[in-house]
Amino acid sequence: MTTGVLMYCFDTPEVNYHKLAERCVHQIRKHLRLEITIVTNLETFKKFEPMGMINYKLVENTTSNTRPYRGKSVAWYNKERSCAFVHSPYDTTILMDCDYFVFSPMLLELCNTEFDFMLHNKVNDITGEDMIQGTDEGTLPLVWATVTLFRKNKNANFIFDMIKHVQEFYPYYRNLYRIRYPNYRNDYAFAIALHQLKLGDFIPAPMNMLADNVDIIDSDSDGVVYKYGDTVNFTSGQDVHILEKEWCDV
Amino acid sequence: MDIGNLKKQSDLNFKVSQTKKNALEKMRSRQLMAFNERLFRADANTINLVSTLKQRSQDFYVLDVNDNPCHIKDPEVFLNKLIERNQETLNAYQQLHQDLANKRI
Repeated sequence: MTTGVLMYCFDTPEVNYHKLAERCVHQIRKHLRLEITIVTNLETFKKFEPMGMINYKLVENTTSNTRPYRGKSVAWYNKERSCAFVHSPYDTTILMDCDYFVFSPMLLELCNTEFDFMLHNKVNDITGEDMIQGTDEGTLPLVWATVTLFRKNKNANFIFDMIKHVQEFYPYYRNLYRIRYPNYRNDYAFAIALHQLKLGDFIPAPMNMLADNVDIIDSDSDGVVYKYGDTVNFTSGQDVHILEKEWCDV
Repeated sequence: MDIGNLKKQSDLNFKVSQTKKNALEKMRSRQLMAFNERLFRADANTINLVSTLKQRSQDFYVLDVNDNPCHIKDPEVFLNKLIERNQETLNAYQQLHQDLANKRI
């Protein structure tokens, strides 16, 4: 049985996602010690620093989606994730956003349990401001596709087939579930697929998050120091999803 | 005390309370523990349940955090692992709690 991490990473005109992925790889090596596969395009691949043993899969990504970020609309290349079942070379895969940073071995613990498909359905805003609760965004229970664990089996295959179907007919499903957010977002596609199929488990601990208006001002291999308004605080030994995208650029 | 000092104290208390909340989240997430391919929380409830059942039988079933049944054939090993993880996480939390208490003084 093989276990590994699968990441999707495509630079956009506004964001150097490869910088985030490099940091993410560093954290995975320190805390999870698992094999890593990065799905990327040729343009982004050329920018990666040598990182030792990494499996790369080069694809041509779709470039038709956008998202709001700090008051602007920016490019968002997020549609390849529905192919993760096919792209993953592992029996057990941790599908992870490259802006999710591992500071603990918690995900390894989850890998040692029995599941088909597992992801977060709760978040913890580390600043305490509850900026990212995701309530009243639609009529279905929201999940977070940021970290998704799946096994190569029939049920996980059904789920990914359903995600592809939802992606293809997204305007229909968006209307059906009265989702406010107009653009394609994996969190919703995953939530719709799980709701339709009544499959999947949830990670019992909430996902720690820092919203995009929180600045990361320092970091080490144990955590990050963040600044929000006049408040400066830090995280230690907690995995965290960081929505600010420039902090690895310097 | 003037309003400037009150504001300073209020900011400090907010920061301490948020750090404490995050440390508790961290502790709860570290308490998640795999056993027999099932996921358990190494908290007081699970420890009490396993300890009680172990007094009656050496072979029993318990539900994991996702309500899946798990056959426990060696309760001694399971209980030891639960206690070990529970104390490891509580020790870490206690250290931080002590640091925060010193900060408030």
